[in-house]
Amino acid sequence: MQRLFAILIATALFAGTAGAQELTGRFLLDSHDGGRVTDQSFAGKVRMMTFGYTFCPDICPTTLSTMAAAIDALGAKASQVVPIFVTVDPKRDTASHLKEYVQAFGPSFVGLTGTTEMVEAAAKAFKVRYKLHPPMTADPDNYLVDHSAGIYIMDRDGRFVAKLGHLSAPEDVAERLAQVIDGKEKAR
Amino acid sequence: MRRRDLLVGLAAAGLIRPTAAAKVEQGLFVHDRPRPVAALDIRDNQGQMAGFDSLAGQPALVNLWASWCLPCVAELPALDRLKPLIEPEGARIMALCLDRSGAIGAVNTYARLGIRNLAVHVDHHRRAGEVLGAPVLPTTLLMDRSGHEVARFVGPAQWDGPEAMALMRALIKGQTLNPAMAPPPPAKTTTAP
Repeated sequence: MQRLFAILIATALFAGTAGAQELTGRFLLDSHDGGRVTDQSFAGKVRMMTFGYTFCPDICPTTLSTMAAAIDALGAKASQVVPIFVTVDPKRDTASHLKEYVQAFGPSFVGLTGTTEMVEAAAKAFKVRYKLHPPMTADPDNYLVDHSAGIYIMDRDGRFVAKLGHLSAPEDVAERLAQVIDGKEKAR
Repeated sequence: MRRRDLLVGLAAAGLIRPTAAAKVEQGLFVHDRPRPVAALDIRDNQGQMAGFDSLAGQPALVNLWASWCLPCVAELPALDRLKPLIEPEGARIMALCLDRSGAIGAVNTYARLGIRNLAVHVDHHRRAGEVLGAPVLPTTLLMDRSGHEVARFVGPAQWDGPEAMALMRALIKGQTLNPAMAPPPPAKTTTAP
């Protein structure tokens, strides 16, 4: 109860400072290397972010492959972008598991997790909705996660620039990133 | 087919709800008419060309998978069992790995699973997902003997059961497929992988 109260207060404070409808892009999470990071940790880099989970039971979106292909398409400019995957399933997606997972998509990929509260706050800051379903079997770890998919582009200061659909073509994602890198597309 | 075309198609069919959760319809989708399949640079475990033209005029099942996709990995053993059952009857089974690490990921996964029959096929330029219009994995293409895609199965399936055999035999005979021919989903495992 005490914890719930703390969350309510934190949520109220958060809503008070940020405004309920604004996509702030703020977060405090744990990186796959174990260190605690915030949106400020990536200052100076353009960020390409998505939310998801690795234990997809039936079908897995290829969003991270799209992001990896966009990084490829950027060529020399790729070093100015950090691709970030935030899990909405921190119970199963531990830091070490995330590290192994994101490495499949490229050395620059960063996997982020945290406590349930930290992940909830981060998802809220991106207006990402997700829902953990009840376990499908007696095993409490066998459950589905629904989440809103998409690729978020944030500028070098961490400000939201664009949300692209998870079906976007890699070259379209790369083009938007290049515009942000070149300063042609600004935060809203 | 380009991913954007797929997007437009799906949107027209009312299958995309932009703000909703990433729900994708699963099952067997039979195309109104066979679709040409774009050429892809596919390599074997020696780096040699092993594209769709290597299917040599036979109907084929082409399964798109990746080592990071757990349901894909889970259905590989069934495809491995299907291959020696159906290939003598005149169809080909190709498992196409979309891993970015190339053949390494495929070879390691095969070794871990004890895969005996499936050959290693790798999407060399990592464009299969986009070129074939597959936003989710696993996706399995059914191609006729002229190399056209007649249907695709989205999601995992029991590829070594009687339903899959019947589906493949219909494909071999050139019969018109229908969604009721879909193989059932795999039995749910009781533990998370």
